[in-house]
Amino acid sequence: MHSTIIRSPRALAPVRRGFVRRNLPYLLIAPSVIMLLALIAYPLLFALKSSFYFWNLQVGPEPMAFVGLDNYVQAINAFDFRAALTNTLILSVLGTAIEFGLGLAIALVLLKTLPGMNVVRALLILPTTIAPIVVGFLFRYLYDPGGGLLTWVLQSLWLPVPAEGILGSPSTALAAILFVDIWQWTPFFAIVLYASLLAVPDEIIEAARLDRASAWTILMRIKLPLIRRTAIIIVMLRFMQIFNTFDTVLVLTRGGPGTTTRTLGYSLYEQGLVNFNVGLVSAMTWITVLIVNVIVALYVFFAFRNEEW
Amino acid sequence: MSNRTTFSTALTYAAGLLFLAIFIGPILWFLALAIRPAETAFTMPPQFTFEPTFDAFRHILVDPGTNAPQLVNSLIVAIGAVLLNLPFSVPAAYALSRFKMRGKKNIMLWYLGLLMAPPIAFLIPYFVLITRIGLQGSYFSMVLVLQTLTIPFSVWLMKSFIDEVPAELEEAARVDGARWYMIMWRITLPIVRPGIIVTSMFAFVFAWNNAAFPLVLSSRSTATLPIGTLGYFATSGVTWNYIAAAAVLAMIPPMIIFLVFDRYVVRGLTFGSVKG
Repeated sequence: MHSTIIRSPRALAPVRRGFVRRNLPYLLIAPSVIMLLALIAYPLLFALKSSFYFWNLQVGPEPMAFVGLDNYVQAINAFDFRAALTNTLILSVLGTAIEFGLGLAIALVLLKTLPGMNVVRALLILPTTIAPIVVGFLFRYLYDPGGGLLTWVLQSLWLPVPAEGILGSPSTALAAILFVDIWQWTPFFAIVLYASLLAVPDEIIEAARLDRASAWTILMRIKLPLIRRTAIIIVMLRFMQIFNTFDTVLVLTRGGPGTTTRTLGYSLYEQGLVNFNVGLVSAMTWITVLIVNVIVALYVFFAFRNEEW
Repeated sequence: MSNRTTFSTALTYAAGLLFLAIFIGPILWFLALAIRPAETAFTMPPQFTFEPTFDAFRHILVDPGTNAPQLVNSLIVAIGAVLLNLPFSVPAAYALSRFKMRGKKNIMLWYLGLLMAPPIAFLIPYFVLITRIGLQGSYFSMVLVLQTLTIPFSVWLMKSFIDEVPAELEEAARVDGARWYMIMWRITLPIVRPGIIVTSMFAFVFAWNNAAFPLVLSSRSTATLPIGTLGYFATSGVTWNYIAAAAVLAMIPPMIIFLVFDRYVVRGLTFGSVKG
């Protein structure tokens, strides 16, 4: 135990052999795990139980009747739910892909070291710092059909703007919401990708240049593989964030017009906090949790397969 | 300088300006909404010049008859969330950074997975539970449920900071006979104080920006700023200058924090997976 060998940070093994000593790492982790389990197990079990009952807070404070799988059948058969699932998938897949692509392009521009560009980089993160609900208001103001700046810009460029407004037209509403998400989160991808690209050693890139590799080849074969792990994590987190969005939709369109911008998150909000249909919303919660878990499990399985920890 | 480099320099600056116009322009336009006379908010074409007025801010901050002190509420909830968070996440991060243990990868992924839980799905159960135990509208209920977001995030970020403290320092103390908790308390934690500050700041921003939990758990007197904006939205006739004033107050602290901790922003946003 009086060894003077320098150990790596992870290798600081327990020295004494008591119970506390042996289980020290687990004991240190336990409070946070117990706290988190208490915070998430209750809602999940609560929702599981409630999902088998007819329970509407507007009708009564307690569950009224056991209805078996009725809530699940109702949730899946409702046209709204399928529309919501489709919209949610469109938003999260397109959103993540476009934000990654644009973010990467911006990151590559930022990598050109010129005086003043670091100011651009520092300011660029600002959209990401704003609460989604506030971003919702910001764009509701910009999209306003009677005086919104964005509406005005589009009209000035002789682009067609729907008479009902960008958010009021079924053909543009979902795209408008997607645009808001892209506006808020492209800078996030740009800054993170920029920082991880900075860490790619110059010598490797120089060597590739000497071998006459094109800029595109260098990007695809050298730079991107080297920032793989960061990319995996931010893509996953962002995908899930959009998947669960409800506040932007609440402020911008309330799921309308019709069901064109209804998302799973917003449907859960509406059934739970507007209609107080606890039984139905619990079934929808479980369906959503299962969908999310399948997607994440597949992603984690394929993405982290070869990662060392 | 060759023509080609001049051209590429000009192109880079043009791109930089375009980025700023697209990503910062809308924010500035919205800031202006908070201080412009209400009647000029929606004019076609937009009015770019106006007499600034601070009436909306006065209404949000001072008028005590109708408005809950939302700024104060936001501060209480966000600071409370940070204070409750640290004693849970710092020891966990220390353990994950310093000790070998079985299933470490799974534990790390479990924390990460929690960040992906849909908060909206938890709202109704929390609402029912908190109402049943009579804590509805309390600051504590909001601070408590926010931990589902702040603990997993802080564990990841703190771990990345503790990873960087050289193990030799701890070894030296151990040779001198110090116990592990003395080492953690007297050596490691003081060294990672900047990391604790940065982690706290990020947890603060998360809690500050969160609208989902206060939406169901706050009462009129404990509503936070994001909920305040919704309030001005729901009442008859949208009062845009009040919305904007409340929104601006809500926007400023996270912006300042991100600009001040610029160096650490990337690390925070990626939960430490990139050392920034």
